[in-house]
Amino acid sequence: MMLTDLSLEDLANWLAATPLAIEMTDSTWLFGAVETVHVIALTLVFGSIALVDLHLLGLVDRGRDTHALIRRLLPLTWGGFALAALTGTTLVFANPQGYFANWFFRGKVIALALAGINVLVFHSFVQARGTGALPLRLSGGISLLLWLTIITCGRWIGFTI
Amino acid sequence: MVILHDFAVWLAHSPLNHAVTARGWIVPELQIVHIVAISAVVIAAMLINLRALGLIETDRSLQIVMQAWYPVMVIAVMVLALTGALLIASEPGRALFRTVFWVKLGLIAVALVITAAHGRSHRAGVSRALALASLLTWIAVIWAGRWIAYAEGWPGAFS
Repeated sequence: MMLTDLSLEDLANWLAATPLAIEMTDSTWLFGAVETVHVIALTLVFGSIALVDLHLLGLVDRGRDTHALIRRLLPLTWGGFALAALTGTTLVFANPQGYFANWFFRGKVIALALAGINVLVFHSFVQARGTGALPLRLSGGISLLLWLTIITCGRWIGFTI
Repeated sequence: MVILHDFAVWLAHSPLNHAVTARGWIVPELQIVHIVAISAVVIAAMLINLRALGLIETDRSLQIVMQAWYPVMVIAVMVLALTGALLIASEPGRALFRTVFWVKLGLIAVALVITAAHGRSHRAGVSRALALASLLTWIAVIWAGRWIAYAEGWPGAFS
C-alpha cells in the first residue's frame, strides 16, 4: 500500500473519532439539517455560476457587460460556496472512511479542484477579452460541464455510499 | 385517504412506474435534473427579490428584472413538477403519505403567488416585505423537499 493511501486512511480514522463525527452519527436530525443547508447553498453556487457560464457562451444577457454581471453575482457565488464548503466538510465527518473510499466523492473533489483552476485561468488570462471570443466561450463551457459533474457526483454519493 | 391509497396502488402498477424503475440510474438522474431546476428557481428568486430589496441589479427596474426572470422561474417549476411526478411514480408509497410533502406543495403555491405579487404593489414597504417573505418561503420549500427523505410516513399508509 502506498504512503498516500495510509495517510488518507489515518486522517479518516482520526476524523471519525472527533466529537463532531460522534455527534453527526448519533443525532437523528443533524445530518439531514446540514444536508438541507448544503442543498440550499449549492443551488446558490450552481445557479449563479451557470448564469455567468451561459452568458460567456453568449446565451444569456448578451448585450450586458461581463465584468458587471460577474461583480453583481459574486457575493451570491462566494456566500453560497462558503456555506456549501462548510456544510460539505461537516457531512464528511458523519462517515469519513466511507466518503474517502467512494469514487463519486473522489470525482467530485477532483472536479471541484479543476473548477477552481478554471476560475484562476479565467481571471488571469481570459477575462480581458471581449464577449463572444472563443476563450470566453471555452471557459464558460468547461465551467458548466465541471459544475454539472460536481452536482452529478454529489447526488450519486448518496446512492453508492 | 382511500382515494390516495388507490391512486398509489394504481401508480405502482402503471407503465410509468416500470419505465422509471427499469434501470437503476434513472431515479438518481431525475433527481439531478430536479436539483438543476431548483438552482434555476433559486437564482431567479434571488435576482427578483434582492432587486425588490434594492440590493442587486439596481441599474434596472424591478419590472424589467421580473420580466426577465419570472418566466424562468415558472418554466423551472414546470420541470420540477414533471421530474417530481416521475420520482413519485418510481416510489408511490413515499412522498404522497408524508405530511411534509403536502406542506411543500402548499409552500410552492404561496412562493409563486408572493413572487408574482411584486409587480402589483408600488409601495416600497410592501415590496420589501413581499421580497423577504418570498425568499424565506423558497428556502422552506427546499427544506420541506429534502425532509421528505427523513420524515415518517403516515401510520398504516401504502408501502
